[in-house]
Amino acid sequence: MKVVTMAAASMPTDPSGETLDLFHQHGAALYRFCRVTLGRADEADDVVQEAFLKLLQHLEKHGDRSNLRAWLFTVAANACRDRLRWRVRWLPWRVELDTRVVDAVDDRPDLRPARAALRALAPRDRLLLTLRAQGLSYREIASAAGIREASVGRLLARALERWKRGVESRKR
Amino acid sequence: MRCLSDVELQAVAAGEADEAAASHVEGCAQCRGRVDGIRHDLRDIAAVVNTAGAMPPRLEAQVRESIAAREPVRGSTTMRGPLPAPAWRRPRVVLALATAAVIALVVFGVLPRFGAPTTLSASQVLGRSLETLSSGKGLEMLEYELVTTGLTHGSWRIRLIVDHERPTRYHVSTIGPDGTVVGAFSQDPVRQTRTQLTRVDGRNYIVNVAGIQNPVLSLPQMAEALVETVITMMQATSGQTLTVVDGPTGQQYVVETPPVTPATSAATLDLHFARATVDADDFRIHEFEASGAILKQPFSVSFTLLNHLVLGNWQASSDPFAIVPGPDDVMLEGTPSEHPVDELLTTVIRELARTRTF
Repeated sequence: MKVVTMAAASMPTDPSGETLDLFHQHGAALYRFCRVTLGRADEADDVVQEAFLKLLQHLEKHGDRSNLRAWLFTVAANACRDRLRWRVRWLPWRVELDTRVVDAVDDRPDLRPARAALRALAPRDRLLLTLRAQGLSYREIASAAGIREASVGRLLARALERWKRGVESRKR
Repeated sequence: MRCLSDVELQAVAAGEADEAAASHVEGCAQCRGRVDGIRHDLRDIAAVVNTAGAMPPRLEAQVRESIAAREPVRGSTTMRGPLPAPAWRRPRVVLALATAAVIALVVFGVLPRFGAPTTLSASQVLGRSLETLSSGKGLEMLEYELVTTGLTHGSWRIRLIVDHERPTRYHVSTIGPDGTVVGAFSQDPVRQTRTQLTRVDGRNYIVNVAGIQNPVLSLPQMAEALVETVITMMQATSGQTLTVVDGPTGQQYVVETPPVTPATSAATLDLHFARATVDADDFRIHEFEASGAILKQPFSVSFTLLNHLVLGNWQASSDPFAIVPGPDDVMLEGTPSEHPVDELLTTVIRELARTRTF
């Protein structure tokens, strides 16, 4: 796990450049996290973009820089939760001549039961396991998922158990 | 020290446990094995997350742009509510069958064969679905919900058994809401039989014709040809949208052509709207919806795949192409003809004439 910690003395004066640096460091992981949580590439795009815009505003206001990676995952997790809650209000972008492509779904057969079981989990279980798989600490997971740090271990263990049962049932 | 609970083992695996728990795991083979198991599971989950898809290069451009503008640039989704684009901006999706056929040739000639593509366009997803449509082998059973308006109106549940080695060998049944078969058609060139079942006033009338020499064109083939035509037209349409969604059985591609205002056209088939939901694993079409006009008559059709079974080489004792009569069913023997409707009509009229003689 890579934790970005910056001392106040070494604080860069260019928030835009710093935001882009952080995008290069964490953008891909954040995108994958959103993709798994939301199940849709187009919405993951938007959440990542919004998260880094908020990061820019956060840096411009000299917000807390002690763990910006966890901060980003917290913002993204909240945005994903909002999107899942209000999904019915969102429609695919439908501009003519939009010829963008989507990523092909990875077809590693050995991961299919694991992927299907993860997808079938309740949103909170999936969120917790995905954050853990991204290497976030219990404290960071608690912050991102909006739960008490003391509850993280118990909830993670339960989520993992449910995921394992799902994998086993799909392998049968 | 007692062995650790799942929560404690989870903490050890995550590096969040206290020293006592960590040292217990060091000395306890059972707990160490369980921690290894948790780490293995988490590696699998991480592999799922890490193969969820690479970040698209355009996202970086969007983030750069939004940071420079201090506001979100055009995203991938939009709020429900905005009106559709003005009519003059909508693409005209009015293509004749001949055009579609030419485009299909170009598409299949130009598009590379698919190995393990890193990205897919809507056209490529549809192309792979077309390949799946025509690549069936052995016996296959498909059950789907079909809803049509226009030339025919209604909602049906259809069960279809088709032999891909002999395209004129098939069995199609229409199933009513209570699960009873309300109509069926079966043709088996191997046994040289053709059978039709019609249900009238709660009773089945089965017309069985033996000794057929010329099996008629397969209904599934005709339906497949229509779907292939529409999909080819979708490929040629500008402004398709392609999204990946989570379906009940896994990830699915949804390809949609934008709705267009029907325009006066001399084309045989006009397509005004179409949507295909394609399984991301095998590119089989799970849902299909299209509306437009055939010979200037408006139509809409939608089907949802309910069940799919590859029967392989049929080994069971029952014949999947036979329409088996029930105890109260009326069996009529027909005479082979060039057209199945003639067979049905001739048989019914003959039976009617026989009854009138008494």
